[in-house]
Amino acid sequence: MAGTEEMIDELSGLALFADLARPELAGVVHTLDEEWYPDGQRILREGLSGTGFYVLLEGEVSVRLGEQEVARLRRGAYFGEAAILLGELPGADVVAVGRVRVVNLAGPALKDFLMRHPNVMFRILQEQTRRLRGAIQWRR
Amino acid sequence: MTSAQKAASLARVGLFAGLPPASLDALAELAGEVAFEDGDPIVIQGQVGTGLFVVVSGAARVVHGGQELARLGPGEFLGELAVIDRQPRMASAFAMGPTTCLALASWDLFRRLDADPDLVHSLLRGLTARLRHLSEHHSH
Repeated sequence: MAGTEEMIDELSGLALFADLARPELAGVVHTLDEEWYPDGQRILREGLSGTGFYVLLEGEVSVRLGEQEVARLRRGAYFGEAAILLGELPGADVVAVGRVRVVNLAGPALKDFLMRHPNVMFRILQEQTRRLRGAIQWRR
Repeated sequence: MTSAQKAASLARVGLFAGLPPASLDALAELAGEVAFEDGDPIVIQGQVGTGLFVVVSGAARVVHGGQELARLGPGEFLGELAVIDRQPRMASAFAMGPTTCLALASWDLFRRLDADPDLVHSLLRGLTARLRHLSEHHSH
């Protein structure tokens, strides 16, 4: 388990948290739980409740619809936000590729977290915009 | 349109669903009413976006590469991605018959995003819903 100072250092290197000063990051660190997953473990399961917001610190995850990989996420990426924001069940499986380390926030706490850290929320808004452009272009 | 009428029009837009009245009023103060004649361009593909448009009356035809992608009616919106990431527009839109829109300039919207986490949250939900809709559309 990384100590608070190490975790602050680590999160400050991620784009998602890049706008936060150290005292605010310390608050963030205290809200998040660190978790590990072995290779092949499903972190989120399509259609099953029990949601969370995850930020990937080590390893990779495969986002899968059935047997098909639709995305591969790496360090700094986040997942699980859609089900929470929309109040729906996860739309895909998210599976650990290799050993994975994440920080996790329980679903019900996400809105409050985002409202307290609007810079993080704005980063997510920009990333969703980027993903949306990708999805739209992909279809044409 | 009065500010109250503008706020009522904005309240019907999915992207602003659930915004507190104070947030809607602040947006309404910034929204300009723009009238288009039949065939007038509302946004042009490839241009860097300077505003988000909400159709109040009439309709808009969304065109990409000469192909019609969608028709938007009252309460529907366009131009939101370019406002957030300031990248070129992905499609053009033309008025179908006399059409009135509410226009929110990017710089005004950006200022509101800075001041109003509820607005960021509402846009985030709206974009995430579209992203999920697109990926479901693709997978089934």
